[in-house]
Amino acid sequence: MSAPSILRETLELTLARDDSFPTGFYARLSDAHPELRPMFHRNSPGPMNKLFAQKLLAIVDNLDDPQWLSRELGGLVSNHVGYGVTDEMYPWVGEALIATLAEACGDAWTTDAERAWTAAYAALVAAMLAR
Amino acid sequence: MLAWSLDEPDRLGEVIPVAGPITIGRGGALADDSHPRTTLHRARPGSSVAGPPIASARIARRQLLVEPTTEGVHVRSVGASRMRVGGIETTDTTARSGDLIEIHNAAVFLVVWRALATTASPTADFGFGGPDRFGIVGESEAAWKLREDIEFAASTDRHVLLLGESGVGKELAARAIHGRSARHRQSLVARNAATLPEALIDAELFGNVKSYPNPGMPERPGLVGEADGSTLFLDEIGDLPERCQVHLLRVLDEGGEYQRLGEAKSRRSTFRLVAATNRAPELLKHDFLARFTHRIALPGLTERRDDVALVLAEILRRTAKSNPVIAARFFERRADQVAEPRLAPDLVVRLLRHPFTHHVRELERIVWLAIGTAEADYIGITPAVDAELAASAESEVDATALDRDAVAKALADHGRSPTRAAKALGLRNRFVLLRLLKKHGLSVAEEGD
Repeated sequence: MSAPSILRETLELTLARDDSFPTGFYARLSDAHPELRPMFHRNSPGPMNKLFAQKLLAIVDNLDDPQWLSRELGGLVSNHVGYGVTDEMYPWVGEALIATLAEACGDAWTTDAERAWTAAYAALVAAMLAR
Repeated sequence: MLAWSLDEPDRLGEVIPVAGPITIGRGGALADDSHPRTTLHRARPGSSVAGPPIASARIARRQLLVEPTTEGVHVRSVGASRMRVGGIETTDTTARSGDLIEIHNAAVFLVVWRALATTASPTADFGFGGPDRFGIVGESEAAWKLREDIEFAASTDRHVLLLGESGVGKELAARAIHGRSARHRQSLVARNAATLPEALIDAELFGNVKSYPNPGMPERPGLVGEADGSTLFLDEIGDLPERCQVHLLRVLDEGGEYQRLGEAKSRRSTFRLVAATNRAPELLKHDFLARFTHRIALPGLTERRDDVALVLAEILRRTAKSNPVIAARFFERRADQVAEPRLAPDLVVRLLRHPFTHHVRELERIVWLAIGTAEADYIGITPAVDAELAASAESEVDATALDRDAVAKALADHGRSPTRAAKALGLRNRFVLLRLLKKHGLSVAEEGD
């Protein structure tokens, strides 16, 4: 299975199995890094969760569309700078996200999935930081 | 038709046309889609506009394969999210009109039978799914037919009789007729005929000179005089005694002639009467009924199930706007603004199946019950809501089992009183009986009346 297919299938499986995704991800992230908590205040948890899941899926769905990615990542970067996100925070997010996906997928989480997500997240962050 | 969506609540009421085999899923077409991909459309009479691709995160990139059959639509679930049809978990089934297709924690679709294109094209000067400028909510064929009927009646300046069960929105329709008519610059005069004291009905309707019929009474123009040049809305006209119906006959004719009580001279009023009743029209005096050139039957929520989700959304929107405490507790917040309600799909599913007898008013009551008895921060099925919905559903099951003869006999045995016949048959109220009469082609009046 190709990397984009693994990403999409594991993410869809996570969303199908974990009704509250990405609540667990945010909990994991803020437990590990309590200093991030004040950043999450503009929206109530519901819209924040929906927005996160939709953006993440949209990125996975559009990995083969460089123009879309460039446009979308530009917006994401400026939003996150506005929220006070700094460079060292990006890896924290990746760790929490991949751990949450692995837990939701259970037996369906393979080393290929781990590898695909790690590589995809690293590429995403590199693209965002390069802007 | 989309009846509930976790991620796209602003798309309620939009439909996915099924003219042939289609793929339903998140995003645009995939190269290896077996069937063409179709998204949600905003369908109104004469137009169907495709919206953007489905963006719900919990709907898989390829979620459903659907094709039309003679019975309804054949649905296959191929996505990661579980599917229930008619409350039963399945991956492959046929869904019929009225069935609900639930994609777990993502969306609820109501299967509706609609023509793919219609010819009429009424004015659409309001946002899709929202209230029109008179407050009528609905995108169903029945709602659009009602708007057409209102527009036509408004254009003719003839007297109108509105028929419909309690809670269907007869006053809203009356205000829409007035608002769309050439008389709209004048204020609508509205009264409930059932609240007029019987001894004073004539004085209330036609007015009186000073100190007549009782000493000390002030001079009054009466409702007919007040509504001169405008519209008089009389609700519950069926409660007006026959004697008073007769008194209205002359003024309803073209000359609009009437006399104030205690006054010898005749006056004229160019009012237009919009009357409403929740009773069978045959119960009105025959020649009184004949004065109403237009009769508009207002559809109940059971006749426009595809509007239940939109009416519910509008009730919730209005509630949040007028009550910050409820807005803070049950509604999401986006960029510090009140956004969509946290609404459990199970409640929407139950409401879409509910045999409403008091329609929008009943829906409003259930919403308030759900809010008032909620234990968490979302609006869902509480034990009180469950009991309320279950009690109503029971009487409907009994009603469908009654055949034509049983209904006709009960009516004959009880002096043709719908209330008493309904009670004798064990029905919840007379509205259930009136629906049965319509279904069996029966009338409250004696045969041959």
